[in-house]
Amino acid sequence: MARAAAASDVFNAISETHRREILDALMPGERPVGELVDALRLTQAQVSKHLRVLSDAGLVKCRADGRRRLYRVDHERLRPLHDWMEKYERHWNARLDRLDDYLGDLQRKDAE
Amino acid sequence: MTLTRRHGSATVALPSEREVLVTRKFDAPAELLFDVLTKPEHVRVWFTDGDQDLEVCDIDLRVGGDYRYVGVFADGTRCAFHGTFIEIERPTRTVETWVFEGRPDDEAVETVELHEQGGVTTMRNVLAFKDQATRDATLWAAADGVHAADGIQGSYDNLEDYLATLT
Repeated sequence: MARAAAASDVFNAISETHRREILDALMPGERPVGELVDALRLTQAQVSKHLRVLSDAGLVKCRADGRRRLYRVDHERLRPLHDWMEKYERHWNARLDRLDDYLGDLQRKDAE
Repeated sequence: MTLTRRHGSATVALPSEREVLVTRKFDAPAELLFDVLTKPEHVRVWFTDGDQDLEVCDIDLRVGGDYRYVGVFADGTRCAFHGTFIEIERPTRTVETWVFEGRPDDEAVETVELHEQGGVTTMRNVLAFKDQATRDATLWAAADGVHAADGIQGSYDNLEDYLATLT
């Protein structure tokens, strides 16, 4: 199940608070490591370690700009997570819509 | 049947690494919603759709009492889960263990809270797993099952559309 494996990599990568903060910090656009260090108040080594996990899951991409390395979010790779949330939400909504309709029926019957 | 739903859709959130939260508002008093969520004669009406038959719906609503639901899809696939009630405070709260029988070692704790304000009741359903990996694996498996069911439901919808053109 290649699809599920890809999704669990993504889940694992975002399971850590600092990694989620890094993704948030990169949402507006690409940034060098130094800015992430300042924004998150972590050491360069910590930020690098988290960026490596995010890179391995394919969630961030990196390019060289002279001597700097710029990181950005790969939005396409976040899609499995969105898909999963949507699927789960659809499932709940289908069931709770039926519950909602049933509550309506019961109360109308009661009012008659 | 199409009804206007004043309070719209459920929202799903991941409030922590090991939890999943579903919130939804209903146009009904908490007492009624509590009964509809916890009495088998009510649950049988809304829990499953045409694609799934609720083969077992046992609810022993007391602290230490067990519940078990078994749904059967049109293709014969069974989807079962069960648990034991830990806390019951009618009509505002239940806490129970939650085991998806496809993954029996990954027990979670479900907390259902109902909050009524001005005739509208908000339901908060939190499933707390022992850790993040367990949550993701269990919910992913469940969502995949649902995905399969979506396909079946889609074909029923198509059939219904087709039948409508014949009459």
